[in-house]
Amino acid sequence: MNNILTIIRKEFARFFRDKRLVLGTLILPGVLIFLLYTLMGSVFFDSEESYTVKVIHSSPEFTALFTPEEGEKSQIVFEEASAADADSIKEEIRAGNVDALVVLPENFGDILAGGFVPAPMAPNIEIWFDSAHTSSVSAYSLLSSVLDAVEDTLGSLYNINVTAGGNLSTAQEATANYYATLLPFLILTFLYSGCMGVAPESIAGEKERGTIATLLVTPIRRSQLVIGKIVSLSCISALSAISSFIGTFLSMPKLMGGGIGDMLASYSVGSYFALFGVMLSAVLLIVSLISILSALAKSVKEATTFSVPLMIVVMLVGLSSMMFTTSSLGACFIPVFNCVQVMAAIFSLKFSAVNFAVTMVANAVYIVLLVWILTKMFESERVVFGK
Amino acid sequence: MQEIIRAENVRKVFRLSAKQRKLEHSTTGKKVALDGLSFTAYEGEIYGLLGPNGAGKTTMLRILSTLIRADGGDAYVAGKSVTREPEAVRASIGFLTSELKLEDFFTPAYLFEFFGRLHGLSAEQIAARKGELFPRFGIDSFAEVKVGDLSTGMKQKVSLVISIIHDPAVIIFDEPTNGLDVLTARVVTDFLRELKGQGKSIIVSTHIFSLVEKLCDRVGIIIGGKMAAEGTLAEVTGGEDLEEVFFEIYKKAVGEV
Ligand SMILES: Nc1ncnc2c1ncn2[C@@H]1O[C@H](COP(=O)(O)OP(=O)(O)OP(=O)(O)O)[C@@H](O)[C@H]1O
Ligand SMILES: [Mg+2]
Repeated sequence: MNNILTIIRKEFARFFRDKRLVLGTLILPGVLIFLLYTLMGSVFFDSEESYTVKVIHSSPEFTALFTPEEGEKSQIVFEEASAADADSIKEEIRAGNVDALVVLPENFGDILAGGFVPAPMAPNIEIWFDSAHTSSVSAYSLLSSVLDAVEDTLGSLYNINVTAGGNLSTAQEATANYYATLLPFLILTFLYSGCMGVAPESIAGEKERGTIATLLVTPIRRSQLVIGKIVSLSCISALSAISSFIGTFLSMPKLMGGGIGDMLASYSVGSYFALFGVMLSAVLLIVSLISILSALAKSVKEATTFSVPLMIVVMLVGLSSMMFTTSSLGACFIPVFNCVQVMAAIFSLKFSAVNFAVTMVANAVYIVLLVWILTKMFESERVVFGK
Repeated sequence: MQEIIRAENVRKVFRLSAKQRKLEHSTTGKKVALDGLSFTAYEGEIYGLLGPNGAGKTTMLRILSTLIRADGGDAYVAGKSVTREPEAVRASIGFLTSELKLEDFFTPAYLFEFFGRLHGLSAEQIAARKGELFPRFGIDSFAEVKVGDLSTGMKQKVSLVISIIHDPAVIIFDEPTNGLDVLTARVVTDFLRELKGQGKSIIVSTHIFSLVEKLCDRVGIIIGGKMAAEGTLAEVTGGEDLEEVFFEIYKKAVGEV
């Protein structure tokens, strides 16, 4: 145990005392991602774009909520519609001609004006959109963020149910949030690149420079060395991923034109714990895998080369949740894929405790197995002295 | 006389990669580095493994230090088997070779503490050892300089003190003076004598005859992975020049093959 801590402390000292490493692994990724996404956002997401939104039971008080600030152009063009046209408007949304449909309660104008006391039940506001069209999603997030704010100010007096309505998309299974499907991919990619920045250097690098043999002639057990390395590398990789994630988080509103913050705020504390657990098992898996590849390699360069095919596989697996999701228990036994599926389930509010538990146990078994393999490799002279 | 290191019929065969196979002109793809090597070293003595390049000296010392495993036979260090109790063996030895590198990024002071902890020493013990060894080798003046910025000789000194940080009973040195100038080499050989004076047992490998003559109590001549002659220095040389004796033994051994 003491030996493991000693190794962890040394690995941390190696990393945190090296300004170049800290800058390159912890600070730059976040900053670069922020700059890149913000730039992409300003190119692709046109804030001048205007959305066509049909409103049933519209009122001047409602459209006034969206009055642009002085000097800005109005982003939403509201068109009044009658309740009888609802179905045909939904068709138009699917076709992409209209961006969204808002169905207000009949007396919503009066509620806003503050002159009407509604019946005890909460008024429903329906927002219909189609996640297959980006402009529709943007219109939706704009509408819902404004209405959320209204709900907050009226909240003490009345309840408004803004979550009614929904995604009309037939392009894919309706999910709670369009962006949610992107997150597992981003998280995996960030974890992987964070790990790539440290693991090959720490294992193949030490081997290449002959410093690992110096450690191996001390009474430390090979398994202690392996555990110490994996734990410290996982922490550093996770920190690096967090940096990238903060960069993404800050630039997301610019890139997507919608609030990722609203989305993240909608998850429960429990799902954040689950998310943390899944990410932890993902980072341990990835670090162990890259460490094994690095132990096989003769140099840092070779280790990096070896890790590229694995990176492609991991990224493809990360993308899988955008194409399909499965709740089958069998999928929970496939490493990395199970992390993606559980994360996708958490983000789309379809979290299953059973799938989560099976995933965590299965991954724990894989991690122990990988650590054991790496220990065996460190015992092998062909691996340690292979030139 | 108490025996401290005993090698029994140690065999080591390396599998060669395609590239090595060409270089070695080997057709079998195998290289027998140690071919049933046996020898005994005694407590409080300096034992010299003498042999030409490629004889198997480094291979034998790596097996003693448990860095690699023997394919046959066994070796005992202070009564512990290198195959069955590698951790116990490592705790009782100090192993030094120029192949064991220190991380360039750290300072000698940091590494000394790090390895001290890995050897299970307390902070006080580490500080005490540092106070003894750093001034002894003049490391004080560059204790806070990164290893990457040190000269070869300085690095060698740091490696030396780190290898004996835990005050081991057995010291294993592969080519102790390789790559050192006469002054630093002298520091090292003097220190080996001093260690012997403290009752430590030492085994060194070398192909330098004068070093054996000056330093060793007992010598084993390895040729082609086998022990060609073994005994006290006097027994092996019979009063003659070691170099001459070596050539005769070598001719006989190679002639046999
Ligand atoms: N990892 C390895 N793979 C293949 N062959 C090896 C390996 N290590 C050593 N050998 C071979 O084993 C033989 C003995 O090597 P060793 O390094 O023990 O010799 P040595 O006596 O230390 O020589 P030197 O005086 O040159 O240091 C050599 O022929 C060498 O090529
Ligand atoms: Mg050698």
